[in-house]
Amino acid sequence: MEKIRKRRFGIIASLVLAALILLGAFWASVTIDKNKTHQDTLARVERKGQITWGVKADTKLFGLMDTKTAQPAGFEIDLAKAMTAQIAKQTNTKLSAAFVPVSSASRIQLLKNTNIDGLISTMTITPERAKIVDFTNVYFNAGQSLLVKKDSGIQSVKDMNDPKYTVLVVVGTTAAQETKKYAPKAKIIALQDYASAMQALKSGQGQALSTDNAILYGLATENPDYHLVGGVFTKAPYGMAFDHNQKPMTKQANRALKTLQENGTYNRLVEKWFHNVPGLDWHDLEVNK
Amino acid sequence: MSMIEFKDVQKYYGDFHALHDVNLKIDAGETVVLIGPSGSGKSTLIRTINGLEEIEEGQLLVDGFDLHDPKTDINKIRKNVGMVFQHFNLYNNKTVLENIMLAPRLVLHRDEAENKRIAMELLEQVGLADKANSMPAALSGGQKQRVAIARSLAMKPKALLFDEPTSALDPEMIGDVLDVMRDIARDSDMTLLVVTHEMSFAKAVADRVIFMADGRILEDSSTEAFFENPTEPRAKKFLSQVEHH
Amino acid sequence: MSLLNQYFSVFVQGFGHTLLASIIALIGSLVLGTLFAIMQVSSSKTGRIIGNIYVQVFRNIPLLIITLFLYLAVAKVIKMTGFVAGTVGLTLYTSAFIAESVRAGILSIEAGQMEGARANGLTFNQAMRVIILPQAFKVAIPSLGNQFINLVKNSSILAFVGGLDLMYQGNLVAASSFDTFTTYIIIGVFYLVITMPLSYYVQHLETKLKKKA
Repeated sequence: MEKIRKRRFGIIASLVLAALILLGAFWASVTIDKNKTHQDTLARVERKGQITWGVKADTKLFGLMDTKTAQPAGFEIDLAKAMTAQIAKQTNTKLSAAFVPVSSASRIQLLKNTNIDGLISTMTITPERAKIVDFTNVYFNAGQSLLVKKDSGIQSVKDMNDPKYTVLVVVGTTAAQETKKYAPKAKIIALQDYASAMQALKSGQGQALSTDNAILYGLATENPDYHLVGGVFTKAPYGMAFDHNQKPMTKQANRALKTLQENGTYNRLVEKWFHNVPGLDWHDLEVNK
Repeated sequence: MSMIEFKDVQKYYGDFHALHDVNLKIDAGETVVLIGPSGSGKSTLIRTINGLEEIEEGQLLVDGFDLHDPKTDINKIRKNVGMVFQHFNLYNNKTVLENIMLAPRLVLHRDEAENKRIAMELLEQVGLADKANSMPAALSGGQKQRVAIARSLAMKPKALLFDEPTSALDPEMIGDVLDVMRDIARDSDMTLLVVTHEMSFAKAVADRVIFMADGRILEDSSTEAFFENPTEPRAKKFLSQVEHH
Repeated sequence: MSLLNQYFSVFVQGFGHTLLASIIALIGSLVLGTLFAIMQVSSSKTGRIIGNIYVQVFRNIPLLIITLFLYLAVAKVIKMTGFVAGTVGLTLYTSAFIAESVRAGILSIEAGQMEGARANGLTFNQAMRVIILPQAFKVAIPSLGNQFINLVKNSSILAFVGGLDLMYQGNLVAASSFDTFTTYIIIGVFYLVITMPLSYYVQHLETKLKKKA
């Protein structure tokens, strides 16, 4: 009797468990499906009354987590806030801006999963990326450069074309591919984030750190023994990104960006964040009104 | 020449005075039985002789080495002084034959063929040649103890210490072990020191009997003298108690 | 699956590095862990103190910190690549846990085994090597098996210091293919290729020893 009851309980429990798993999988697939195909980003943000931006939290001057306020701060954060306000004005809805820190490696997946609505995270516009996300127009003309120790004697990326040199890059950036083009013999090591890449450079794990000049300027302001050399050897313009085939949202964003550049908001933010970067004339970054 | 000599030896476990002014001389070739009630310090005393217990004060000379001298290499003494334990302490991960051959190989670097020949001879002697390839777990207590004796003998020691070798055995196993010990006492010129409660064995084999209580040696006399006319009242009492069993 | 085809050589390279790091760290941590376990049960007070400090330090600091410390600080004095730093960090970290498993194994062996061996003329080291450790390892096998499986999974720490392992290559593939989900499923399967046979083998050893006993 006892045995039969036990067995019956086991069978029922297994059935319930199997049903739960099936139900969960069904729900998940429906949710993903809905998010993937049916949802219009603009419609979604209007309904939520909020644009959730994926931003950098480890990049000085662009997006850096302020440990006191637990809020990210930087040029991109301020620009995202201005963009949100401008889009709200254009669409006649109430919109607030929310921020989610993303890493270079995970940001596109987060966008695809609709954890975030848009990306403004030092992301270079590339043809490969353009196949899977929608980019806005360029909001920052970045380019790849090289950060080296001041007494290293390295003058440009071509000097690094030697197996004895290691170039440090960050996972998920285009720096590795681009560096290979100019210094095919150099070893390339990718690290998780800019902080550990900078620390690795200081520890001698590599002789140069390569990424966008915009980011290197932030690192150079904090590490006076290091400087940028050779100017930019690639063009790596930054664009904001939305999920693929989100024309209405991209259109609104481009219109908002144009307005901000024309009404002087953009230039004010450039001055606010880049006016005291050593070796950089911030006026070069201004857009002509 | 004395094989083992205690001079004013003191041993403490914290506050407990385990060995109290022990003075004792055992000559080479003697067979001595050490008796006394439990907790009297017999086991402690015998375990100091091969350095399993350290002494705090006094002098302890074994085979000419001073055990209290930190410069003395204890392994040199252990090479020449074997010990048989109450709980056998056979190597559980080795066969009977390996138990016997291990120390001669590692310590004496005895030739392998010679080592095996001696080990098999010893197994023959203790009546367990057919168990050579058994694991200790497959043996009875009495068989284990006979293997343990063979293991000690394989080192060809000058002295052999027995620490209550039959106390953990079922009564029907005791006889075989005592027979082996009796043969050793009769046929070899080793120095033997035996802690035991087997009075008939002591009477038959011992040259001398030492009686201990409360960490002191109370009586040290020839076997006949001890059993026929013990001088100490506590020894008398002990004997009457043991013989009633 | 097209992802697997396209990046197959990258995954294989990562798999090779993960396997190599795991094997080196497994052997290294077994040797180190056993050494420090013996120190902890030795009669030497200094040995016990050193053994204890070693185990407490490496067991109680996150593996990531140990590894980053090696890669970023120690490497200033002793040159080492990310692969070396990661493997050494993994070895040190795991050895502390192995020391605890082996120590527990040693303590479970009755004291008579050591006394018997010492009285028989063997030195402490001989007795440890021939009598105590073989028995202690048998006792410790289930717990050692767990440590080894953890070690393989923990080898993903190499990714944080550019150690070229599976996780590192996975990150790169995820970043350039933009298909994070599939990438991590693929490398997850690669990890299973190492850990499944390992845990099966440990189970097999366990049952074999149980039958013997």
